[in-house]
Amino acid sequence: MQLALSEDQTQVLDFIDSLARPYASLPMHDVSLALESADLDAALVESGFLDVLAVEELGPVTAALVVEKLARLPFAVEAAASAMVRPLIDPDLPRPLCLVEEGRTGGPVRFLRPGASVVVVGLSGVRSFTVDAGMIAAAQEDTLYAYPVAFLTGLPDAMTVHDVDAGEVLRAWRVAVAAEAAGLLGAALAATVTYVSDRKQFGRPLATFQGMRHRLAEDQVITNSVYWLVLRAAGTGDSGDAALALLHAQEAAKRVCYDYHQFLGGMGMTLEHPLHLWTYRLKLLTAELGGRGEQGLAAAEALWG
Amino acid sequence: MQFEWTPEQDAFRHKIRDFLHTNLPDDWEKFSEHGPASPALTAFAREFCVKLAEAGILFPHWPVEMGGEGLGPWEQQILAEEMWIAGEPRGGQYMNVNWIGPTLQKYGTEEQKARYLEPITRGQSLWCQGFSEPDAGSDLAALRTRADLRNGNYVINGQKIWTSYAGLADTCFLLTRTSDDRKKGITIILVPMDTPGITVRQIPSLIGEGDIHEVFFDDVTVPETARFGDEGQAWEIVAYSLRNERLGIPRFTLARAALDRAVAMLQGEGRFSREYVRIEAARCAALCEAAGTANYAVVQKRVDGLAIGAESSSARYATVMAERAVCEFVIEFLPQALAGASPYLKMHHQRGIVAGVAAGSAEIQLNIIASDVLELPREPR
Repeated sequence: MQLALSEDQTQVLDFIDSLARPYASLPMHDVSLALESADLDAALVESGFLDVLAVEELGPVTAALVVEKLARLPFAVEAAASAMVRPLIDPDLPRPLCLVEEGRTGGPVRFLRPGASVVVVGLSGVRSFTVDAGMIAAAQEDTLYAYPVAFLTGLPDAMTVHDVDAGEVLRAWRVAVAAEAAGLLGAALAATVTYVSDRKQFGRPLATFQGMRHRLAEDQVITNSVYWLVLRAAGTGDSGDAALALLHAQEAAKRVCYDYHQFLGGMGMTLEHPLHLWTYRLKLLTAELGGRGEQGLAAAEALWG
Repeated sequence: MQFEWTPEQDAFRHKIRDFLHTNLPDDWEKFSEHGPASPALTAFAREFCVKLAEAGILFPHWPVEMGGEGLGPWEQQILAEEMWIAGEPRGGQYMNVNWIGPTLQKYGTEEQKARYLEPITRGQSLWCQGFSEPDAGSDLAALRTRADLRNGNYVINGQKIWTSYAGLADTCFLLTRTSDDRKKGITIILVPMDTPGITVRQIPSLIGEGDIHEVFFDDVTVPETARFGDEGQAWEIVAYSLRNERLGIPRFTLARAALDRAVAMLQGEGRFSREYVRIEAARCAALCEAAGTANYAVVQKRVDGLAIGAESSSARYATVMAERAVCEFVIEFLPQALAGASPYLKMHHQRGIVAGVAAGSAEIQLNIIASDVLELPREPR
């Protein structure tokens, strides 16, 4: 048991901080619902941060730390699937990587765009294809997703079959989504804490009222434990740990999203404050891989048969 | 980072398990339904702790200069986990090795160390914690039990309440007021429980018989040398002690073991196939493991010699959440467990009620997290 960050891990996280600094804050009144940055994405690819899993002295825990860190940014980055799942399938698959479950391909697909790799995981194994514009439904206006999202119109007849265990991909996928959720939970909590510490009503900061303090403290407990469950799941590579981590992350997301908007009051209903960037991403992640119930069933199967 | 135990740590855990297997009686699970402070378990612990001492696993985590093996915080954690999962056969003596011994070593006079450490290392002493009072529970600094220095003696008058182990303890780690300064007026006195003027009354409890008590002090007189630390130093010493105590009981391990036991019973009855039961069990397991990893993150800080701060409150609250979830799971799906169908689950349920109350209430932990982890501006006083 050794839970301290290694020097290498600290260094990687420090590098990401420097690289992401220009993307860490936003001018108010300039926040769309889904926010991306091609420049940030290119910088991450070039610096190799999405490839740390295969580096022997870094590995999956560092990859989870990278994903968690990047999820804290206001800009959505397709890092989780690329950094934590792609190395298991084919490290050269073109990005962005879109993971979909066989039989559930009709839902919103994060980062889906022409040229993306779609990986279909299920009973038929692990198969992929590069998507073209003809396979993507016409863009919908006024969606409520804080990720860039599109819908597949179907699957191609021919796909590349990957010689990899679907269960193993599912495991890595769960950890990847949980790592992303951990970062979103951390960022959403931090943004809420800042707001309620500054905002004064009745002559004192909102954060001095115990009704809010205790709920935020409970949110800290849950957010902290999601972080640790994610790192453990990444470290052990155990399928039960992976299911527990995503179950706990999805439970946490369900708990905090409305609380945080509630705590921001009127500001929590606007696009002026960036809170929604994290909470509305979290909302979509609660639906990932079938939602809490599916993770619960997977965990129960792994733990007790 | 490494989330697996080392082979040495695994071997240490197995050594403890083997010891428990050999030294716990066949009817132990039923026996452990007696409260941790009950006469039966206290008497059992006096023999059991002697055997632990002989086997070198009563206080192996203590530094070598204290007679331990200097094994460190992970081994202390493993020891505590295995004992608590087994129903804590050390009874109240777990406190001795977790925090009383180390606190005596850090703050005690040579006379106090000589008098109190040796019986602890032989597995022959039992302490109680004279902290809470009728009007000073979570607001501990409101305590009023007075200790007045007269002619080289402290004369103690007042009342403590909800005091665990007081019925059979030989010494009380007593918080007293020596001046009106709210926190700096509190002083620790080590009081032999057979001192004239002490009256102990048991309070019937949900935890089991003999667990909590009222303790009255009427002109209890002890020499000035019974003072522990300086006058007014109690708050500092207690903060040091509680940092150990808050991590001291790894309740999440018993919660997880109880959950596994409950699932096995449901499986045996063919009732673990329904999806909602499986999902709820998994949710409980996630909370147990979440609490475990949060606790381990704090242990790591101890291993690295870093100061432990408010994050121990976060780990502790995570443990409370796990305890509650497992208790709720058991009562919802195996209500017969509380009527003797499973002594182990009953034992867990009895002890689970303590999780959010003892060693600083859950609400106090939330206050600490709000102020010191989240750094929210403090409430006006």
